[in-house]
Formats: sequence, structure tokens, C-alpha cells
Amino acid sequence: MRRPIQALILPVVLGLGFFWVGTETRPLTAADVPAHQADLENGKLIFNVGGCISCHASPDATEVPAGGKPLKTPIGVLYPPNLTPDPETGLGPWSDIDFVNAMQKGIRRAGGHLIPAFPYTSYAKMKVDDVLDVKAYLASLAPVKNATPPHQVIGLLIVRRGLGLWKWIGLDETKWVADPSQSESWNRGSYLVNGPGHCNECHTPRNLFMGSDFTRKFMGGPHPEGKGKVPSLRGLVERQRYKDQADLVSAFQNGETLGYEHMSSGGMGEVQSNLAKLPEADISAIAEYLLSLK
Amino acid sequence: MISKLQFGLMAGVLALSLGAGMAFAAMSADEAIVARKACMKLGHGGVFGVAVPIFKGDKPFDAAALKAAFENEDKVCADWSKWWGPETKQGSAEQTHALPAIWEDPKGFDAAANAWYAADQALRKTTDLASFKAAFPADGAGCKGCHEKFRAPLQ
Repeated sequence: MRRPIQALILPVVLGLGFFWVGTETRPLTAADVPAHQADLENGKLIFNVGGCISCHASPDATEVPAGGKPLKTPIGVLYPPNLTPDPETGLGPWSDIDFVNAMQKGIRRAGGHLIPAFPYTSYAKMKVDDVLDVKAYLASLAPVKNATPPHQVIGLLIVRRGLGLWKWIGLDETKWVADPSQSESWNRGSYLVNGPGHCNECHTPRNLFMGSDFTRKFMGGPHPEGKGKVPSLRGLVERQRYKDQADLVSAFQNGETLGYEHMSSGGMGEVQSNLAKLPEADISAIAEYLLSLK
Repeated sequence: MISKLQFGLMAGVLALSLGAGMAFAAMSADEAIVARKACMKLGHGGVFGVAVPIFKGDKPFDAAALKAAFENEDKVCADWSKWWGPETKQGSAEQTHALPAIWEDPKGFDAAANAWYAADQALRKTTDLASFKAAFPADGAGCKGCHEKFRAPLQ
């Protein structure tokens, strides 16, 4: 009691130490990534499942992932980066391990944590081979020189560091696993929905810590950009949103072109446009899995 | 000098007109929302109810049925331009999926609505299955173009 300041030193130093250690990045090393034969076709497919173009488009070219289209989020305006292989402004100098660290660990090539508006929380579930195929597909695109503006986030450095703590709760790195009691197509759908498709990011509500609340998986919740409410994905047939699996497949393929009015608002219009590019077997697998959610 | 009576009268008139104004605004917001929903569900929905089965090949091309659906659409959507005043952002009894973006970006909203209108007019000019099938996807894309930005997700 006689020396209150001195008495505070130890807990403060300990606290800062815990913060520093707790917020460090723990990247994978090259040895963690398996030898890989790139499959560009699969890379393109996964790119479309993820709908990467919806955030990584450039303001003036909607079909090229050259980045820079502003993304308004609750913490500020983000400018998603250029994914084309431009050596200065894109992914040109990125190694496979840089890409896997970004996609599955949420770690920047320059060091530090990525803001989880980039849904690495879902991509962490993916098969590394699929991640590497996306990398190979992106590397096969024509390079576009486009330096994206810095994110407009107040206290960005502290936010980035603090995300290390958030990851302890918000980032579950266990990989997706197949359910042997289900069909192959159901498992394919489950993988696409929970991994690259990152449907949980909007359709599963978030808890106090802004992590996905998996006790309420796919039950819908507030829209991340404040556009009303994201609908639940449970009981889609029971609630008479779709007649059956074929109807939901048609909805993904055609969207509002055939009057599927649930497929256009709150960002779902872009999701539907991206999913419509998939082979029918994959769309069908996604529909099979979704309709099994009661 | 204003007498107590004059003051009382002025206050009374002010209160009455405010009350009337609020009642009028609330009523018109609900009325506008009801009318918007009727235009969407009965007008546009009615056209889609006829058009989609034709487009998918479940039913034969039927110019008369399409014409009737378009005429009904014109009828229930006739007062469209009167339904989007700033007082109609929210109803009191009626729920709406209209997003604030409609009033924040009125030019964008009009452009999106006009893009649909142009596609719909083109669809009405079609005279056979081939021309109908060629024109129909743009009509639905017009719905999507407006709903993407200006309507909250349906539950």
C-alpha cells in the first residue's frame, strides 16, 4: 500500500507480456505444405465457390480480381487487395506458403493478422490442395497493376495486433471432416458450404466476441452491413421457401431471372451469380446438404 | 399583445395540424407500403406466374394470358411514382423490406427501376416463343438489379 505505483509494475508488465505473446502470429513454414500438382480448373471452381470476385473486384473491372473496390464494414472502409499476379501491386511475389498462411491462418505476408472481413475463419476448414489450386489459378490470370488504397480503420495497428487475441476464440483451425454416415454428394456439399463457400460468415449469427456462434449454426442473424436480417438456412423446404432439391438447384442457377426472389438481396445476388458458374453436380451437392439442415 | 384566448387557439390549431399531419403521414406510409406490396406480388408476381412456365417449356406460349398479366401489372403498379416519398421509409402497422438506400441514392434507385422497366417493355413486344425466351431473362435481371441494392433480404 505504501508504494502503489511499484505494486502495479508487475501486473502491468505481465499483462503486456501476455498480450504480446497472445497476439503473436504463428505462421506455417514451407515444410507444412505438401508437394502439390496444381489443377487450374479446380482452382477456378473453388474461386467461384468462394465468390472471391465479389470483394476483390476492382472499381472499374467487375470480372477481374484486381482489388480496390471499397468494402464498408462496422470497423471502417476496407480496400480488398489485388489478387492478380502483378509483381508490384498483386500476388506476384507470393509463395505458396504465403498464400496458405493468409487463407487458413489469417496471417499477412508482411506479418501481422488479417482483418477477418476476409473469411479465413471458413477457409481454415479447406483442404490445402484446394487452397493451392486457387493460388495457381490466380497466378494464371493476366497481371493487372492496381495499387489498392490503405484501409480506413481507426487504430488499424492496434486492431491488427489485437486480432491475435480474437483468434483464440474466433478462429477454429480444425479442418472439415467428412461424415461417413452421409452420401458422397452430401459431404461434397457440406465441404463447399462450410469451407470455401463461407456461408456461415453471414448465415450463422455472431456471439459477443464477434465469432460465429455455432450453437446457432445457419439460423440467420443481423446483416453484417446493416441491410436488415440474414435469413436462416434451416428448414428451407419445411418453411416452403423451396419445393425440393431440384427447385433449390434451379434457384442457384437462375436466381431472380426465374422469380426466385430470395436470391437477390443483401449480397445474395452476387453469391447466386457466382454459384451459377459451378457444375450442376456441385450445385446439387450444396442443395442436398442445405436441405438436410432442419 | 396576444391574449390568452388567441394563444390557446393558436396552440390548439398547431396541435391539431401536427396531429393531423402525423396521422396523414403514418396512414400514407402504410398505404404506400400496401400498394408497393400489391404491385410486387400481384403485378410482377402475376406476370412471373404466367411467364416462368412458358419460359421453362412447361406451358405453351400464350400471348393472351401474357397480355392479361401485363395489363394487370399496369393496373396495380400505376401509381408507382407516388409510393416512394421520404415519409414511406417505414410504416406503423405494415412491415417493409425497403432499404434506406432508396432515399440515400434516389438516382441509383430510379436507374435500377428504369432498367427493369425497359426490359419489361421489350418483353411485352415479343410475339412468339423464341423472341419471348430471348427477352425474358433481362426482365428477371431487372428485378435482381433493384433488389440487390434497395431491398432487405426476405426471411
